[in-house]
Amino acid sequence: MSRRVLLHVGCPKTGTSYLQDVLFRNQETLREHDILYPADRFDAHFLAALDLMTLPWGGLETEAVGAWDRLAAEVREWHGTAIISHEIFARATPAQVERALAALGDTEVHLVLSVRDLVRQVPAEWQENVKHRSHITYAAFLETIRDPARDSRIGSWFWAVQELPDVLDRWGSTLPPEHVHLVTVPPSGSDRGELWRRFSRTFGLDGIDLDLTAERENPSLGVPETALLRAINQRVTSVVAPPDYRPLVREVLAHQTLSRGFASARLGLPPDDHAWAQQLSRAWVQVLRERDYDVSGSLDDLLGPDLGTFTDPDTSTADQLLPPALDAISALLVEAARLREVEERLHRELHEAREERDRVRETTTYRAKRRIVTTLEDSAPGRGTLEVYRRVRGRG
Amino acid sequence: MSDDAARAHGWVAHLREGGTTPWLAWQGTAPVADAPARVLPGAQQLELLRRVNLARGSSAAPRGGDDASSTRLAAQVLAAPAAGRGKADLPLVGVATSGFGPRPVDPAAVGARELLRVASVVLADDLVALGPDPVTTGWARPWRRRVRLVGDPVTAGILREHLAARGRPQGGPRPLLVALGAPLDELLARTWTQRCFETGTKPWPEWLRFWRERDQLPARTDLAASVERWPARRSHVRVVTDLARLPQQVGVRRLPAVRVPGADQTELARRVAAVVGLRVPAPERPALMRTLQRRMPGTGVAPVGVPERERDWVAASAARMTRAITRAGYPVVGDLADLAPRATASAVAGADDQQVLDLAIAMIADPGWRQARRAAGRVVER
Repeated sequence: MSRRVLLHVGCPKTGTSYLQDVLFRNQETLREHDILYPADRFDAHFLAALDLMTLPWGGLETEAVGAWDRLAAEVREWHGTAIISHEIFARATPAQVERALAALGDTEVHLVLSVRDLVRQVPAEWQENVKHRSHITYAAFLETIRDPARDSRIGSWFWAVQELPDVLDRWGSTLPPEHVHLVTVPPSGSDRGELWRRFSRTFGLDGIDLDLTAERENPSLGVPETALLRAINQRVTSVVAPPDYRPLVREVLAHQTLSRGFASARLGLPPDDHAWAQQLSRAWVQVLRERDYDVSGSLDDLLGPDLGTFTDPDTSTADQLLPPALDAISALLVEAARLREVEERLHRELHEAREERDRVRETTTYRAKRRIVTTLEDSAPGRGTLEVYRRVRGRG
Repeated sequence: MSDDAARAHGWVAHLREGGTTPWLAWQGTAPVADAPARVLPGAQQLELLRRVNLARGSSAAPRGGDDASSTRLAAQVLAAPAAGRGKADLPLVGVATSGFGPRPVDPAAVGARELLRVASVVLADDLVALGPDPVTTGWARPWRRRVRLVGDPVTAGILREHLAARGRPQGGPRPLLVALGAPLDELLARTWTQRCFETGTKPWPEWLRFWRERDQLPARTDLAASVERWPARRSHVRVVTDLARLPQQVGVRRLPAVRVPGADQTELARRVAAVVGLRVPAPERPALMRTLQRRMPGTGVAPVGVPERERDWVAASAARMTRAITRAGYPVVGDLADLAPRATASAVAGADDQQVLDLAIAMIADPGWRQARRAAGRVVER
């Protein structure tokens, strides 16, 4: 049985992809230190989360059958420390949390929540929605999440994964506060290694020689790039199915192409929304301070940056959209060329296989047999005779 | 435990015993010792259970704890999560909360769509527990004509089963390729309907829009493309638009009855299929969904139909498909003009959430659809 499990349940947009990639690529090294990150693919815990929460996800859910129970069993059987990590666990309902914790048995559970200020989380979540097929404008998104009713699909999801006191109430209410660990994302402009150091301390990875190369991140987009992607979604989400959207739009366009617009303006909050976000954050920080959780970083990080220059993505001009649009066309043409190469190679292989088959069939005996079979298949008695023959020869 | 929490736990106990009193009218409490330590279920689960109790003909007076199946059913409904990305479990209005999380609600005001998210999980779990119906097969009759059916997927599915039960499984060496035609609007509706009873798909209006904006037809709807997919000689192909002449083509005396599921049944199946996809490996889902298709009780609601705004596109697509079949020179049984869309006054453009919920509640409340095994001749587990 695991001595200890570190259950990292969120939040989205807090460096989780990088953490999970490092853990996945360093599984062997971690095992040598009695730390288990049980995953046979980088998104294994995402599938476990879909399973635990009964979340259909554009067809991916068919790969998630039984994933949570398998993950929990692996954790229970491990003799040392185990780590479970995916940000969408943050959305689990109280009943699902109860089931999850029960599945981990008597293991000592430590809850980890990586957290970032709302001032940066709100625009990041809008970008994430846009990268998941949404074409809601930024203004409508802000209005939706500020609606206290939280009736919309976007609003209910946003608060389920971002309202820190609520996430902690659901996941941490049965745990002693010293078993609840907050990792705050450092302010913008901090040393790039600082977030990793906070994760490392919380997960007990200090002193372990890990490959920290950033192979898989979930990069943010600039303002015109996000505006362009939203405009593309307006055209394509009704005609491009999720299994095609994921590799072509999210991966090729968003992650591999548009995220390289480092010089573009970064998205922030309009003044009124900035004030609202900071006020809410202050209230949360006060609540969190009273709970005596273990904090890596500072709760003051949750107040977010001061108001900066706001660039509105809903009013991006054609001139601003043109450069990323040309990049997008170029990237898609390169991808189309690559896929054409794959198609041609497959055609070539199929052609060679058919030629090989035909060579085998060119014998006189084969041709004679084929003629007999064709003749028999043209009549009912012939078909019956053939069937009997095939049964006798075991060639049904 | 606070008074309001005790009242809430009392209401949960009341519902577990078959009670139907709405939350706002509930005044009772549960003795502290009886109150379960578990978290309160969400308003969606509680309201669904109340409506299931109503459908079971419960009165406000509890039935007592001797009804084991009722107890199991109540536990199942209360433990079912709401499937998919939507609202999390909602707290009850009048019960103190931390001030964070979703806003408390009156369960009676929870919409049909939210209740359906829970009901579809309950039904999916029932279906998985039931398992697939055995497939009936007859002794092989290899001397009979072999056929492969493409086109109208509802009719093709039923006819395939009918033939397999008579020892004539689809395919084999050089089969007659029979493309089952119908007015294109019906073909589209039946293709979506069947898809819902296999793997599930997007809602009917979105699905139709997907194909219209692409100006393409789904694989099973496009008869010319369906035929081309199989390497059959022209003389081994029949495009059948006159169903009255279909028995002669496939070598049966008469066709089995073809029941096209109603819009409410199909929408419910679509939702259930999504959850079944999370419960069983992908290859097992179609057999389970076929079982649901056979057993789902009828309600008399008409099948979905193509809305008026899509008719021009459907007519143009039908004309294009007709030209493709004509050019290919495939033998036609009937008249290709019958592929043109045929407006049906009774067709409904989509399912009403309340109708779908009523069907779901009826199926949860009355387990009859799960009980009768089909009479089978020679059966093979699939």
